[in-house]
Amino acid sequence: MNPDVAKAIPELAASGVLPAEKAPLFLRVARGELLSVHGELRALLYAGVLLITGGVGLLVKENLDRIGPVTIAMGIGLTAAAALVWVIAKAPPFSWRPVPSPHLAFDYLLLLGVLLVGADLAYVEWKFTPLGAHWPWHLLIMALLTGVAAFRFDSRVVFSLSLSTFAAWRGVSVAVFSVSLLHAKNTVRLSAIVCGVLFAILGFILARMDRKAHFEPVAVNLGWLLVLTGIGSGIGESGENALRWGAALLLVGAGLAAGAFLARRFPLFAYGVLAGYVGLSRVVIGMVDLEILGCFWFSVTSLLLVLGLLFAQRRMREPI
Amino acid sequence: MTPDCERADRYAAVRAAGRSWLHAGAIDEATLKTIEAAVPDDRVRLGPVFRLLFFIFTIIAVTSVLVFLVMVLQIENSGSGGLVALFTFVAGAGLAVATDIQIVRMRRSQGGIEAATSLLAISYLMGSLAWCILQYFHALEVHGLVVLCFVGAALAAAAAWRWGYWLYAGTAAVALLGALAGLPHGRLSWIVLPLVAAPFLLRLSESPRLPPSHRSSFTAVLAVALVGLYVAVHLGSWDWQWIEKIGGGARVMRPAHRDALWWLSVAATALVPLVLLGLGIRGRRYLLLILGAGTAVASLVTLRWYVHLAPLWIVLTASGALLVGLVLGLRRWLDAGPGKERGGFTVEPLFQDLARQRILEMGAAVVTLSPEARNLHEEPKFEGGGGQFGGGGSSADF
Repeated sequence: MNPDVAKAIPELAASGVLPAEKAPLFLRVARGELLSVHGELRALLYAGVLLITGGVGLLVKENLDRIGPVTIAMGIGLTAAAALVWVIAKAPPFSWRPVPSPHLAFDYLLLLGVLLVGADLAYVEWKFTPLGAHWPWHLLIMALLTGVAAFRFDSRVVFSLSLSTFAAWRGVSVAVFSVSLLHAKNTVRLSAIVCGVLFAILGFILARMDRKAHFEPVAVNLGWLLVLTGIGSGIGESGENALRWGAALLLVGAGLAAGAFLARRFPLFAYGVLAGYVGLSRVVIGMVDLEILGCFWFSVTSLLLVLGLLFAQRRMREPI
Repeated sequence: MTPDCERADRYAAVRAAGRSWLHAGAIDEATLKTIEAAVPDDRVRLGPVFRLLFFIFTIIAVTSVLVFLVMVLQIENSGSGGLVALFTFVAGAGLAVATDIQIVRMRRSQGGIEAATSLLAISYLMGSLAWCILQYFHALEVHGLVVLCFVGAALAAAAAWRWGYWLYAGTAAVALLGALAGLPHGRLSWIVLPLVAAPFLLRLSESPRLPPSHRSSFTAVLAVALVGLYVAVHLGSWDWQWIEKIGGGARVMRPAHRDALWWLSVAATALVPLVLLGLGIRGRRYLLLILGAGTAVASLVTLRWYVHLAPLWIVLTASGALLVGLVLGLRRWLDAGPGKERGGFTVEPLFQDLARQRILEMGAAVVTLSPEARNLHEEPKFEGGGGQFGGGGSSADF
């Protein structure tokens, strides 16, 4: 209910600003006489999928001996198949462009199907070890399968899962990267940076070729987050290494901010500014190493940065 | 809020509605421009990303300037800390004035800087008052906290009223409940006060006399009050004396098991969600529907805690399947109604911001459903046990 909008609609309609045929619907919504529960039902479907996958995980864990591995694998596989068959039956024809969802539950049953396939594949690999010493490859297989499903059924949620599964294959957990990457060793750190660069390139290619270009923000944002967190995890090291990682973070962050400024990419601009500032501060604090000067540094630079941001926002004109 | 701020707030609500109509394809760009010309914006506003950046860097700048001054002037060596408290109070008062000037005279709204200075103003004022109160009431620490909560509630309420931030109104309500918990009959006041205030708060949250920011503030207070009411009557809260523990723990006692009050708590834990859902459906109110659904989930979890109905995996899988089935049934039922609506409810998205919801879904999926990473340092060792239960999202271990 929004009394101000409800009051304005008749006036706007009377002065010809609002189309007369649309005004009654707008008015009903503003008065709270008509309420959409679309978003709420989607949230409940998402919760339902989470509950089912959580339950399946526990089922496997607690009833392994009682039910038997073949029954479990088949049960999960059949449930996944049922969800995916429904999705295939409902899916509109493939297009490289955005495709509207044909049903409220479409995205969620696809997600359920994909998650159950992932669980089943991992379970089969764990129990029967068909890949032997190459068991981590099941993550790559899953990333590819999920990616194909994301493209075919035009799901950005499933696409983001595909990217995070690929990162997991390379040893990077996106789920908790803010925590785990900050304490990462060099191998994982480099892996995160490489994954991030690959994702950003993938996003660039998608946008450039105009093939599923609406997936680009997912790949590019996740990619840059991985790159910056990967580099940023190095500033906690001791001595010269910390300064080197700090300098790298400054360079990459500043470069990203400059590029995003020119391209008017607002979230990327924010990542770049924050990363660049952290990198620069790490380098300066590492070299100055004085309490009072440290405080002086933060007060002066953050004030200068606020002034710089005032200039930048006038040029970029971010929509409200 | 000044009359100027109120008018700007009301106009902003109409422009926001116009943008939602545009995103839903109900109007075109030209119509939106005409709407924006009819309800013009006289405030300095920024988009969400710049707002966040200004907020973060203002916090860093102001805090580091003040810490720098404390260090240079050697205020921290004043002994009892009284000088630091005075300095903090002056800084807080100065920041409150600065916030007011930005919002009223400089006509800033949604700019990030004024939000940061308002937050710092309240924090510094509270910090200095906390020092004074705890110094004064040091012999009776619990009462000192009660006074501090009351002062905090008053301060946050004043900030919400003057500057129109609903978050401060919600914080004020939380602080008030915290203060009441420390008084005798704290639990009773958590029950009585929301019950008495809820009808008034509901009316105020929809009153055309109030600007949108104040309506949102009363909505936030109502939400906190109803959550407080649910917590006060909740069976687990009664059994474990949560409110009494918040109030200081000195009067915590184990309540008698299965006496009349215990059974009343059982009934209330079951009834509150139903009443909230019923009122939400009857009045078509999002807040009551969301609170009803949330408390219903909490009550079901409580039921599972006290009564072992079935193994957890069955409960989870069955409730998930039931939820999906319920949603699909509800969608079909609403869609089959005349004009795809029943009782004023529809599944059509109308003017909801679906793009923002999809971003949230993606973020949630990446954070909650991403598989655990393989351990690069363990390879190429193979123990025949395979990897972890994961891939495509699942992340539980076997």
